[in-house]
Amino acid sequence: MSGVTTADLTEHAFLRGMADGHLAVLARDCWVVPVRQGHRLFTEGDTARRFWLIRSGHVALDVHAPGGRNLIVETLGPGDLLGLSWLAPPYQWQFSATAVQDTMTFEFNADAVHEACESDAGLGYQLLRRVMSTASSRLQATRIRLLDIYAAAGTVHGGP
Amino acid sequence: MSQVAAPVLPARYQVVERQEETHDTVTLGLRPVDQPIPAYQPGQFTMLYAPGIGEVPISISGTGPDRGLVHTVRAVGAVTRALCACTPGRVIGVRGPYGTHWDVASAAGNDLLIVAGGIGLAPLRGALLSALGRRKRYRRVVVLAGARSPEEVVFARELDGWRDDGAEVAVTVDQAAAGWTGHVGVVTQLIGRAHLDAGQTTALICGPEVMMRITARELRALGIPAARIRVSLERNMQCGVAECGHCQLGPLLLCRDGPVISYEAALPLLAIREL
Repeated sequence: MSGVTTADLTEHAFLRGMADGHLAVLARDCWVVPVRQGHRLFTEGDTARRFWLIRSGHVALDVHAPGGRNLIVETLGPGDLLGLSWLAPPYQWQFSATAVQDTMTFEFNADAVHEACESDAGLGYQLLRRVMSTASSRLQATRIRLLDIYAAAGTVHGGP
Repeated sequence: MSQVAAPVLPARYQVVERQEETHDTVTLGLRPVDQPIPAYQPGQFTMLYAPGIGEVPISISGTGPDRGLVHTVRAVGAVTRALCACTPGRVIGVRGPYGTHWDVASAAGNDLLIVAGGIGLAPLRGALLSALGRRKRYRRVVVLAGARSPEEVVFARELDGWRDDGAEVAVTVDQAAAGWTGHVGVVTQLIGRAHLDAGQTTALICGPEVMMRITARELRALGIPAARIRVSLERNMQCGVAECGHCQLGPLLLCRDGPVISYEAALPLLAIREL
């Protein structure tokens, strides 16, 4: 037993609205995991066999850059899903993740969730809808950042 | 004693403070040499004149010493480069104030949400300071600010003071090196985390137009009516008194009818590509 209940999970924004039966299945494959500031949850290139729902705190996704620098590509916080690479081949983390402050998570066993989704298409659909919504939001945000909108010269707001 | 400067005539102001905000942005504290321009409201702008070079519209970002003004200027052209280079003692011209304002007082009793992108925080700074000066009139005062990088966050030295005065301040950047403990992402991603009460929120948005559109869309999706979302639009302001027509946006002359307008009014105009 993980000790996580459906009531615990239903409060998380990512799972809001999911049926109790599906939450009960997920609750079996999940644990409450506190993460200390500075702890690396996963590393770019490693096999992705877990994912997390952040309850409190923040986690930075970063990528290694030449010169020994790590560049942060996104920060995730309460209500967010941490980890997408567990869902699709090659099941390898594309980025690394480090807690930027003490963080509380629900940690899921991805293999077990895979199996549960294979045997219950309804659960798989509900989970995939949420993952898709998350991925879509992050894609839109990434597109906006690609525009580098703050570089645009203004007039009243700063001057030509 | 000289008379009050007419709105179309510049008044002399002396630079008394100069603070570098970022590599290309400077905040200038200005003190009137003669009679000051009429009192301003947060969100209004002035025309700043760099002698011998030219004039530019710049939003007022606060009140300076001795009935003076604070302007935050980004060096992106000949005039703004000259203004940014001004050191204490230099005299420049100021006329105004012009245009509409944020009408912060109308948000009394509500949550006040301020969303800024880049130097868009400058025109909002006065509104924020006004709200913090009368903090009990408002429920939550939430500031969400986005910038390209930690080094390009304007008023960074003031953020803790705003928090101490009762504002909830979150900053996000587009890119950061490891060690940055703030957010990385677009400013709209902070909206969901702010847990806003849509029925009780008045939102003021300032930044690049794309950013304002996206932010307003997110706020409307939360249920905040367009009439309670205000944006600051900018076009080519030149005369400041609605005579030259350079700043026309559909039926509006933004130097008079703007820069601050409700998103309800802005939405149909921003959807027209030719404008």
